[in-house]
Amino acid sequence: MVFEDIYRDYWNKVFRICMGYVNDADWAKDIAQEIFIIIWKQLPNFRNESAIGTWIYRIASNNCLRQIERQNRMPTTELPEQIEYKPDPDKEWQSKLLYKCIAELPETDRIIISLELEDVKQAEIAKITGLSESNVRVKVFRIKEKLTQKFKQYEQ
Amino acid sequence: MSNNIDFKELWNRGKSSAPDISEIFAKADQLNRKTRNKIWRGNLLLSLTVAFMIFIWWYYQPQLITTKIGLTLVITAIVMFLATTNQMVPLLAKTNVETDSQHFLAQMIRIKQKQEFLNKTMLTGYFIFLSLGIFLYMIEYAGRGSLTFQLTAYGITFAWIAFNWFYIRAKTVKKQLSAINDIITRLEVVNKQLLD
Repeated sequence: MVFEDIYRDYWNKVFRICMGYVNDADWAKDIAQEIFIIIWKQLPNFRNESAIGTWIYRIASNNCLRQIERQNRMPTTELPEQIEYKPDPDKEWQSKLLYKCIAELPETDRIIISLELEDVKQAEIAKITGLSESNVRVKVFRIKEKLTQKFKQYEQ
Repeated sequence: MSNNIDFKELWNRGKSSAPDISEIFAKADQLNRKTRNKIWRGNLLLSLTVAFMIFIWWYYQPQLITTKIGLTLVITAIVMFLATTNQMVPLLAKTNVETDSQHFLAQMIRIKQKQEFLNKTMLTGYFIFLSLGIFLYMIEYAGRGSLTFQLTAYGITFAWIAFNWFYIRAKTVKKQLSAINDIITRLEVVNKQLLD
């Protein structure tokens, strides 16, 4: 697969995962760029042992988790400002709220729910995170509940 | 508000225009250059120090074996210290990002623990080699003076070494350890999230 195609197809997907993780558009963009640098460097070694998507999401998830090393930076609890939206103020605000709520979850929950919302199959999420499929199912269910609760709380 | 919030729809609204692809290549290039420069600087410093030591050896032509052993120990200490900080740490920190999150986190914890051990051991080793080296090196030159001169020379040198050992070293080790421990703790917390 050609890097340019991957970049075009996956930029927004990867960006959203980073955004769910840190809830800061500039920071998310930085992480996304780092992820694509790794993808670009590692692509010649990609052996098709897993689907390309799984491989990309693994690199993306791990690089989000790597942010733990950066002690001074914590996900913001503000509503993100800089994402580009289509004109629809109500939905726009809700979308920002969603990203804020996700970034408040525990680290691994952020990644699992982001992948789920990105329509990654649960079997793939299991391969990306190293969890069993049934475990992923249970977790996704719980996280969605938690998220809905949080979301409604803020909405009131 | 309805009970069924369409999270997927809201999620997909998060978009950011992809930076031009050349930006990615430029950034990759910049990173490469940075790493190369860092290694180059480290090696230059290392070579200069060793060259300086060898120059002393050659210029002053020490007579006693203790002086030579002392110089060797000091060189070894510096080389050891620079080599580990410059080359080994990036080598150790090489992570496999293509694995799953669980393995990745375990790997990060392992690396941090190794780093913790390395920092502590290296710094202690460095001080021991350096102190011993200076002690031996001084025998020849201090021995030429009076007893008072010898006592003063050794007294001042070892007061300085003791200050470094008990204050600077202790403080540095403590600072490094607490920073690494902090990261390890956080990694462990995140790793536990997966197991819950």
